[in-house]
Amino acid sequence: MVPWLLLALPLGATAAAGRDKLLGVHPSALAKYTPSKSNTWKCLDGSKEISWNAVNDDYCDCPDGSDEPGTSACPDSRFWCKNEGHIGAYIHSSRVGDGLCETECCDGSDERPGTCPNRCKEIGEAYRAKRDAELKIQKTGSKIRSTYIAFAHKERKRLEDLAASLEKDIVAKEKEVEKLREIAERTESLTQAALDHKRQSPLYQSLLNHNKALKSLKREYKKHADREKQLGQILDSLRTGYNPNYQDMAVLEADGEESSTPEPESEKTEEAVDDGLWTADELDSELDDLIGTDYTSLLLEHEDHINTPTEDSLLFKITSYIPDAWLPQYEAWKDNFVDWLEKLGIVSEESSGSSTEATRAQQALTEANTELNHMRREKTESESDVLKIFNPEHFGAEGEWKKLDDTCINHEVGDYTYELCFFKEAKQKPNKGGSNFSLGRFQSWNKDARPGSPEYYSKQVYQHGTRCWNGPERSVVVLLTCGVENTIYSVQELEKCEYQFKGTSPALCLPPGKEPQNHEEL
Amino acid sequence: MWARSVLGIVSLALVFHDALAFKEQDFKTCSQSGFCRRGRALSQRAQEAKSAWQSPYSVDPSTVSVATDKAVVQAGVKSSLYPEVNFGLEVRIQEDGAVRVRMDEVGGLRKRYDEAASWALISEPSISKNVKWVAGKKDLRATYGPNEVVVSYAPLQVTLYKNGKEQVVINGKGLLHMEHFRKKAEPAAAVEATPAAEGQEQTVIEAPENPRAWFEGADEDALWEETFNSWTDSKPKGPESLSVDITFPHHPVVYGIPQHATRLALPSTAGENPTFTDPYRLYNADVFEYLASSPVSLYGSIPLMHAHSEDSTVAVFDLVASETWIDVSHSTDRSTETHWISESGILDVFILPGPTPDDVFAQYAKLTGTPPMPALFGLGYHQCRWNYVSSEDVRTVQKRFDEENIPMDVLWLDIEYSVDHEYFMWNEKMFPDPVEMINDVAATGRKMVVIVDPHLKRDNNYPAFTAAQELGILVKPKSGEGEYEGWCWPGSSSWVDFFNPNAWDWWKSLFKPYQLEGGKWSWTKSTEDVHIWNDMNEPSVFNGPEITMPKDNVHYDGWEHRDVHNINGMLYSNATWQALAVRSDPPKRPFVLTRSFFAGSQRFGAMWTGDNLGTWEHMEVGVKMVLSNSIAGLSFAGSDVGGFFGNPEPEMLVRWYQVGAFAPFFRAHAHIDTKRREPYLLPSPYKEMVTDSLRLRYTLLPVWYTAFRETSVTGKPILRPQYTVFPKDRKGWEMDDQYYIGGSGLLVKPVTQKDVREAEVYLGEDEVYYGYFTGETYRGAVKGRTVSVPAALDQIPLLVRGGSVVPTRERPRRASGLMKYDPFTLKVALSKDEGARGELYLDDGETFGHQRGEYVWREFTAVKSGKKGLRVSSRDLGSARPAEAVEGASPALTSYDRENKYARTLEERDVRVEKVVVVGVKAKPKSVKLEEGGKELEWEWTPGVGSKEKKGGRAGVLVIKDPGVKITQDWDIVIL
Repeated sequence: MVPWLLLALPLGATAAAGRDKLLGVHPSALAKYTPSKSNTWKCLDGSKEISWNAVNDDYCDCPDGSDEPGTSACPDSRFWCKNEGHIGAYIHSSRVGDGLCETECCDGSDERPGTCPNRCKEIGEAYRAKRDAELKIQKTGSKIRSTYIAFAHKERKRLEDLAASLEKDIVAKEKEVEKLREIAERTESLTQAALDHKRQSPLYQSLLNHNKALKSLKREYKKHADREKQLGQILDSLRTGYNPNYQDMAVLEADGEESSTPEPESEKTEEAVDDGLWTADELDSELDDLIGTDYTSLLLEHEDHINTPTEDSLLFKITSYIPDAWLPQYEAWKDNFVDWLEKLGIVSEESSGSSTEATRAQQALTEANTELNHMRREKTESESDVLKIFNPEHFGAEGEWKKLDDTCINHEVGDYTYELCFFKEAKQKPNKGGSNFSLGRFQSWNKDARPGSPEYYSKQVYQHGTRCWNGPERSVVVLLTCGVENTIYSVQELEKCEYQFKGTSPALCLPPGKEPQNHEEL
Repeated sequence: MWARSVLGIVSLALVFHDALAFKEQDFKTCSQSGFCRRGRALSQRAQEAKSAWQSPYSVDPSTVSVATDKAVVQAGVKSSLYPEVNFGLEVRIQEDGAVRVRMDEVGGLRKRYDEAASWALISEPSISKNVKWVAGKKDLRATYGPNEVVVSYAPLQVTLYKNGKEQVVINGKGLLHMEHFRKKAEPAAAVEATPAAEGQEQTVIEAPENPRAWFEGADEDALWEETFNSWTDSKPKGPESLSVDITFPHHPVVYGIPQHATRLALPSTAGENPTFTDPYRLYNADVFEYLASSPVSLYGSIPLMHAHSEDSTVAVFDLVASETWIDVSHSTDRSTETHWISESGILDVFILPGPTPDDVFAQYAKLTGTPPMPALFGLGYHQCRWNYVSSEDVRTVQKRFDEENIPMDVLWLDIEYSVDHEYFMWNEKMFPDPVEMINDVAATGRKMVVIVDPHLKRDNNYPAFTAAQELGILVKPKSGEGEYEGWCWPGSSSWVDFFNPNAWDWWKSLFKPYQLEGGKWSWTKSTEDVHIWNDMNEPSVFNGPEITMPKDNVHYDGWEHRDVHNINGMLYSNATWQALAVRSDPPKRPFVLTRSFFAGSQRFGAMWTGDNLGTWEHMEVGVKMVLSNSIAGLSFAGSDVGGFFGNPEPEMLVRWYQVGAFAPFFRAHAHIDTKRREPYLLPSPYKEMVTDSLRLRYTLLPVWYTAFRETSVTGKPILRPQYTVFPKDRKGWEMDDQYYIGGSGLLVKPVTQKDVREAEVYLGEDEVYYGYFTGETYRGAVKGRTVSVPAALDQIPLLVRGGSVVPTRERPRRASGLMKYDPFTLKVALSKDEGARGELYLDDGETFGHQRGEYVWREFTAVKSGKKGLRVSSRDLGSARPAEAVEGASPALTSYDRENKYARTLEERDVRVEKVVVVGVKAKPKSVKLEEGGKELEWEWTPGVGSKEKKGGRAGVLVIKDPGVKITQDWDIVIL
């Protein structure tokens, strides 16, 4: 039985009477919360005029929810916690009066009196201590960052210098190539006929056939080796990554058998190899050399070997064919040429009579050309690297990321070590042995942010790693914050084969005061 | 090595090939199951014989014994096929009028399994002392009320009549057959029982003409051994199957026997042009990517079938735990014939006489119990995924929900939290601080649910395994010696045998979140905020026949797995439920989710429809499956929102959340291979739409909770399909895509099809309904009427039945527990007669205090007052009906203390009614006053049509602001 007395009490009114009309109002809006002369009040969107008593009476009158800044009555409105001693903050109206003492509202003003103690002093202190610590990290980090920037400048200088010196070398090299080409062309015209004849030798022909056979065998061998490797990988990923919900015993059995087979490494070492025959490793390394043999040179050397060199090389014997009148010029040219050949190591002084000048001259030309191309490439790279260093979409507007180009950091989780080589590749390496998986190559910074903004550099995307069994290609999102070290502190596979690394880098530490203002409302 | 690699590739190719489909070859059809084949062949012979067919079973009149003090009759039964075999029949009339028919072999070579009832029933049903059996020359008769039960002697037949009309007939078709235990014939004569494919001729054996061939068939079919795929069932006990036909001569439609992915009104499986060619199968199984329309068995089984007609609803409950196949056919459009074929066990059939669906619910609840009041958080939103991978991940997910102000009550952890799938054992590399993590989740009023599966990894360092091994409580292989080893998530595993009583106390001890005395292992790295998910309890065995245990495995007391298979899952969730209930002092309500279930599982928590697919078909059939479970007693049910497999498009996800918000159990879940799809990840406007559905769920929590109270007491389902509300309305019988929420008057028709923007809702009565969000009026008709309701993607077709008062809490918060002192809004939807009624039930939502009277149960009414006036009132129901307020009170409550502890808390916290919205008010009131004190209240009226008008359009709505009344208090608002 409820006493009549109790029933007679207007309960809503008692609840509302004690409530501060300005509870939950942001200081800047206080002026808007004043009654009219007739003790009414207009909803902030102007849609409705209500009694001043209806403000903060725990009943939602205004469509925009503005009449209940201090209660949970209006959905999706905001409550301002003053948090004196700390920083004021808005909380969502659904948090008002929910009985929880949230840190965001450390003064407890959103709860019934007596529910939440005012913890702003300690929370404020803790916050400031944390902020100070962060600031310290930021300061230290920004110093490191400035060394990164200095490095970038040095690097630019180095690369620019490199490009300049390469330019010089290239010019020299171009001249050299010109000369060599001339020599090679001449030698070739002199020797072609003889060489063609020698190449008719059955020995040479047979060698060519052997070579062809070797190449074919190698191709087949490689095909099988690749296939075996592929199979191994499939079974490997089957073991670790098969769809476990698919309760297929065939898969489980195949997996079980595969994992129970002896390790291939041990097989190799135990493999009995006949005397003199190559092991698999030797096959891998030496077959290519064998196939790459220059048979023409070999042929000539062979001749040298069989016929104890009685004849001079064509180049030296040529005098007998040349009209005497030409001899002086020829000798001069020849000395010069042989000198060149010696310099290039094509003929040794001892064997300067060898008959292999033509091919060797050709080789020298090729090599010189290769070097030239290499230099050109290097120069182009240096030039483009220079451009990348201070490009916001690459190493940052200040070049602060250049230092980390190809820097690798690790983090161990469970049975794996995760490796991140900045701007190159992320990898998963099993600690207990087995093959590495690529988790992807560097693709981009945070595409959702403006290049150059701190948010832009807070995220790196690595994609197109090894494909998962029954899944996508592995990929990584690297989330970075300012820290004094380059480090990964967390690795999670949030969904199948999609990883999230969390890490820190000084490159993200802007000098305090220089970072864009955050939106804390003080 | 090479050969093996190639083998691997071959199987790999197979995987890719059919990774997207149900694996038909893994599961038996009837023709691949010896006893089902025999049962169907028997039915076939009977059909061919037509009127010449007569059941060989008959009652021996000389053995009839009628009890004098209660309605029990016993009699000997003989089969003319095997005169030397004895059967005993017992028929009881229970106090509530239900009839129990039991038959067993007497004095046979062995004992048939007869313990299913001891697990499924809450207690031995009381037998009527008033009804009397009368033995005649040809039959036994018992009459009570409009009902008469007749046991005919020759042939044996049991019939329930109502008002002289046949309701249920057992063995009316003469298909009753209890295969008696026998000795295996000597090898010389043994017939090789090759499982013949359907339609294939059996090898004819040169043998003397079998005189029983007319009934049993000419040759023995798979009596002693049976092979399916690579598994051979040794069948050491030989044939022991049970066939029985149950006919409903005047009931054209049947429901129930979940769980199957099909319509609520069961499509036929036999007779002319059957929808399905195989019978419905009940054999709990972990079916990978099940089909959205099929009679194949799924994770759980409830052998309860409702038969329905205009003037009567009856049900049969065939209490058998072995594999069972059920054929359904209609020889006329007025009748239904069913044929139940079980592999083992006694005949134990309950006939529930109805005559209304509500009566059937009560009669079934009396046998197997009701769902207890759930922990309130269990009705909130559950966020699950296989898997949240670390404690950091868990904290981030929670943080993201809070940042977006999306309500959520429970964060779930699937199997990957455990190291090597050893449940309880945290993978500390990923979850280094489990207790701190749980506490962080609990700090916002939330809970965690963590999975504990029934298979134990055979690892001598796993305390759960070694303890179970020491106790000798693991399931044994067919030899009956040692431990059965099978393959599941952790690899080689064994299973605890919960039929062994020694398993129970041990299991309870594991869940204690504190160190046990004596140093035994318990889950100290958990807290009372952790609740449990029991999955894989069919049991799922990856390398077993049909992904489960071999039938010849041996359980406690020597029973074979075949005898107990369908109960196995229920025992597991039962044990876990009890473990959680005694985990804390005072005890708190457990939350346990189970995948496998049986009749009675409603007492042990919630179930879900297993590993569904992220397709529209599965969304649609999920609703039907949940309805089917609801009418079979298992109300606390839901389907995985979003679908377990696949990546649902945003539109599908939005609709699925709308479906989920209107299922008793509301959980989103996703497979490990799917993209993350937590609501906050959706782009606008889908994110806002999903958030709205979630908030709607939270505002309606009082409705759900109140509905659970009713279910917990009466057994009436939470989700009520059309036929249960309007049993006489033929047009509603087949409807399974719209339903009412408890007795609230809310009628919902979730959209489960792409691009649909308008829903056709059927109103089965001459009453006005209102759009829940719009106040639009929809008028039904005496003969029923279909109305079009707008269903834009952000709209759920949700109507309020005129005559209802719907209590809501309009301040959705982060979790349900944070809303416990929030004020209520009452939506008064006037009927065409300008009245309304509704209820609200409240208690603390976590303890068992309600069973000691700590609750608040209110009734709200609106009645005409004077010529034009209306009186809206609140009254106490606890005082009026104390005995029927709550379930589980012991002793039963006879009175109600309005000043009870819980009610006082609400008063102290000033829990009030903040708003009363009266819908269907035609004219602007002159005054609105609180009668107590006579204070004029603030109100606002929006013009519109009145509840009794014939026209459509927006209803007139009166909003009464803050009447200043507490929810615990009686009050009257007079509107003039």
